[in-house]
Amino acid sequence: MAKPVLFGVRHLSPAAAYHVRKSLQKTKPDLVLIEGPSDLTDQMHWLCHKKTKPPVAIMAYTKQIPVRTILYPFAVYSPEYQAILWAFEHDVPCRFMDLPSDVFLAIGEKKQTQQMQQITQEEIQDTTESVYEKLETLTGESHDTFWERYFEQLDSAYDTATAVFGKELRENTQDDKWYTAENTIREAYMKKVIVDAEKEGFENVFCVCGAYHVSGLEENEPMTDDEMKHLPRLESASTLMPYSYYRLSKRGGYGAGNQAPAYFELLWNDKKSRKGIAQTAYSYLTRLAEAHRKAGNLTSSAEVIEAVRLSQTLAQMRGSKYPVLADLKDAAMTCIGHGRFSEIAVAAAKVEIGNKIGALPEGVSRTSIQDDFYRQLKDLNLEKYRTMEVQALDLDLRERLRVKSEKAAFLDLHRSFFLHRLRVLGVSFATLQNRKQEGANWGEYWNVWWKPEAEIEIVEAALLGDTVENAASFALKERADKSQNISDAAMIFQDAFLCGMPNAASYALSVLQRLAVDTAGIIEISKTTQNLSYVIRYGDLRKFDPEPIIPLLEQLYLRACLILEDACNCDDNAANGVMESIERLNQVQREHENLDEQRWLTLLETVSDRDDINTRCSGFAMATLIERGRVSEDLLAKEVSRRLSKGVPADLGAGWFEGLAKKNRYALIARLSLWKQLNQYLDTLDDEAFRRALVFLRRAFADFSSMEKNDIAENLGEVWGVQKEQAADLLMRKTTEEEHAIFDDLDGFDFDDI
Amino acid sequence: MSDIQRQGAEILFQEELEALIAAENSPIPTGWRMSPKSVLTYICGGKVGKKEITPKYIGNRRLIEIAIATLVTDRALLLIGEPGTAKSWLSEHLSAAINGDSTKVVQGTAGTTEEQIRYSWNYAMLIAKGPSLDAMVKSPIYNAMETGSIARMEEISRCASEVQDALISILSEKRIAVPELGLEVPAKKGFSVIATANTRDKGVNDMSAALKRRFNIVVLPSPANLQTEMEIVQNRVEQLSKGLDLFAKCPDADVIQQVVTIFRELRAGATLDGKQKLKTTSGVLSTAEAISLLANSMALAGSFGTGEIAPEDLAAALQGAVVKDEDKDSICWKEYLENVMKKRGSAWLPLYQACKELN
Repeated sequence: MAKPVLFGVRHLSPAAAYHVRKSLQKTKPDLVLIEGPSDLTDQMHWLCHKKTKPPVAIMAYTKQIPVRTILYPFAVYSPEYQAILWAFEHDVPCRFMDLPSDVFLAIGEKKQTQQMQQITQEEIQDTTESVYEKLETLTGESHDTFWERYFEQLDSAYDTATAVFGKELRENTQDDKWYTAENTIREAYMKKVIVDAEKEGFENVFCVCGAYHVSGLEENEPMTDDEMKHLPRLESASTLMPYSYYRLSKRGGYGAGNQAPAYFELLWNDKKSRKGIAQTAYSYLTRLAEAHRKAGNLTSSAEVIEAVRLSQTLAQMRGSKYPVLADLKDAAMTCIGHGRFSEIAVAAAKVEIGNKIGALPEGVSRTSIQDDFYRQLKDLNLEKYRTMEVQALDLDLRERLRVKSEKAAFLDLHRSFFLHRLRVLGVSFATLQNRKQEGANWGEYWNVWWKPEAEIEIVEAALLGDTVENAASFALKERADKSQNISDAAMIFQDAFLCGMPNAASYALSVLQRLAVDTAGIIEISKTTQNLSYVIRYGDLRKFDPEPIIPLLEQLYLRACLILEDACNCDDNAANGVMESIERLNQVQREHENLDEQRWLTLLETVSDRDDINTRCSGFAMATLIERGRVSEDLLAKEVSRRLSKGVPADLGAGWFEGLAKKNRYALIARLSLWKQLNQYLDTLDDEAFRRALVFLRRAFADFSSMEKNDIAENLGEVWGVQKEQAADLLMRKTTEEEHAIFDDLDGFDFDDI
Repeated sequence: MSDIQRQGAEILFQEELEALIAAENSPIPTGWRMSPKSVLTYICGGKVGKKEITPKYIGNRRLIEIAIATLVTDRALLLIGEPGTAKSWLSEHLSAAINGDSTKVVQGTAGTTEEQIRYSWNYAMLIAKGPSLDAMVKSPIYNAMETGSIARMEEISRCASEVQDALISILSEKRIAVPELGLEVPAKKGFSVIATANTRDKGVNDMSAALKRRFNIVVLPSPANLQTEMEIVQNRVEQLSKGLDLFAKCPDADVIQQVVTIFRELRAGATLDGKQKLKTTSGVLSTAEAISLLANSMALAGSFGTGEIAPEDLAAALQGAVVKDEDKDSICWKEYLENVMKKRGSAWLPLYQACKELN
């Protein structure tokens, strides 16, 4: 029986993938073992399916909250992936040999809690990272570049080289004890799998594992059955998911990803081809030039030729046969980017990272919620939006009358439901854009952008329910149970409404009702009535039955009417909120006939008449009544003179006026009597009172437009008997010195002083 | 001690160059005196046998690799950067290391003519004997083409654009035509041009795309951090003081740190910790200026002071370096004194007081 072959690789290394295949071809093993969770072996055949397009990842996740996940990404140039493919093509059994995923997840959790506890402990000196750092200072190049220069370009003896490297790395490092412990356990387990396989009768076993583990697997003892029993476990499940180069590039560090996946694919393709990686300089730089041109720049072929030559010279100087990515980038920066990397950064990102997303065949073992997601994506004709680029999706929620089937007629509406449900679940697939046009209640604007994160988020949502709808409904229910105030509950209700989920909506409604009785101030209630009113009015656009909401709206309206008077007894800061509430309630009352109008008008009159509450609220109530045509000219004149009579403190009088002037200004400006009253009032004030009133009046007029101010000035002119022409003459005339002196005085006038 | 104010790099560092040549074991490109790797060692520092090679350029090693590799591929090299980022310094050392000769220089100005790039005539001889090779006055570039070595073109962006154009055909065809003699002189292997150009200064012309295309461009940045810049300043001040007989002690690290800190802060428009925004001055405040400022203070201290740089010497030199455009700069400088320096504690106090007295 031959000794098992231990082939040490670097994950995600094209050279490793190439040499693994070559070595497999030569040794013709009868069993291939791969470093990966042993319970996930049954996912392997999906990796080999002809419709599977890498990058894909196997994800294992815990079934309880908080969800922990581990990911095994595979690119086309992953040595593990190529080894699995080889085994599949040659009908050789293939298995994963690392710790089962449930153990991995449990160890990960333990490791984290333990590390948190000993956070104060001294930092350990010789971690793997620090050895990498030493290498970097020694070679003057990043660790990835070092690896590419010395290992990716090897023509033979790749496994010997990596095994030596792994062994040296092991000897020179002293990782923290949790990390070491994890490695020891993993290696003992893997060893056991190998030994078991040999007992099973396999004679020629081929193992693909990280270079770091080779010597560990040679020397360590296999794990005993008793030790096996003591391994911690967390209940878990696993799934396959499409992955993306973008995400691979974001996850730096050994094994988890690499910075330039598209470039590595280039290397892999070149490595397999007749010319080998000698042509990578050409393929990389021509692609970069093409991308640079597409981005709107001029790049001549001469520049590309010079860049290729420069990269080759750089490679020679830096000690490798062919240029590595760092050389190519330097050359491109110098020749194509005119010395500045920023010029070619966009093109470089395209060529190095690319926007490739993996694909999986239908029916691949997924969680049911993933299945539901993909089915709906197809049903709703949204598949074309599953790309790495941000795409705008404009929805028209109205029924399409020209189409036959009901499904087609409400396609956009169902899309909206679906996207809102994903939003509620926190799946970052689509984001709602805020560009509602005035009155366009039927339009909805989304930006859709597929990221593999979304897939992970969907899988995490699997804990909440089996379909997108169920999960969203559960999520809303959870939120509703936690909500503390009425506006939160109203938010949840609105979400349920937008998701088209009547059951969740009525649940949120019951929570809303409960909270409304308990607490809630006027501002919250008025906002909620506004939300409800919106749903009642436009509910049928979303096929939503508003019946159950109407009683609640009535209830809230009544409550608002009852507490408004008290709420008006407030200071000036709070008055703004109260005035906004009055405005909202006024709108809502107008929209819904079933809300008692007489009650509202009587209430406004009371507020308007009372002079022991905040005068701004009274003024605003008056204004609202004017708007509704409930105030006669006489009544207004009487009120103005009463409110602005001598003896009323200036701040109260002016505050009232401010409230009054908040709305329907044209109606106010048109009423000459009002300005006469105001004029008379100002005449009665002594200097001190005038100064005080000035501040409030100035504030009252502050947000008038200049047009409106002009009109007021004209009104006052008329009151004072000044004709337009006279005024113009006066204003156009040259100012006298005396007047200049007055102006100068005014320049130094500080309003804040009074 | 020689009576030459400033020796060329190949003479100043003759020993190092010879040590590198003696220890050479990599292939040497045609026309070069040493391998590209040795040139890199010469510029960035290192060890050859027992001989310590001082670093000439401190900063991004990758850029130097690109520059040398450019010259290996017989492309012309263009060094771009703000004033005082060691462009000419690097160009001189590169040619000294590659050819042992940094003297084939065209110093570009607004008045540079095409003849200075190609060739001109000894008119007395031209009139007496007619056109002949003897009557021709060859430009440094012409010479470099004949000998297969490197010519330097300083401040190329200060030349008028028609003068810059004269370089285009020389660089692409690598030959120079002399119609008067019916000659065409091809460049020997090893010929190349190192040009330097300012990007942000008064009185510079834009370079045409056609000319830029014939160069590989390396942009030299300002020193990346305080440590690097201090190292550069210290090295250069020591070298300068040897050459200039300044009779003063070299400044210690504290003084250099103070000067470099002030320069970096005023250049970046923020304090080093990034917490306070500052006004920037009209001058560039380059590393080169910091070096000459310290040499200047050493001269002051050596000639009129105690031989050791005192805060007063430094203050006078700082004032001169920072305040270029009288009104605006002096406001910036005063603000800096009060808002930043004054609050830096006792180590900075003497300098602060000396500076304040001048304002």
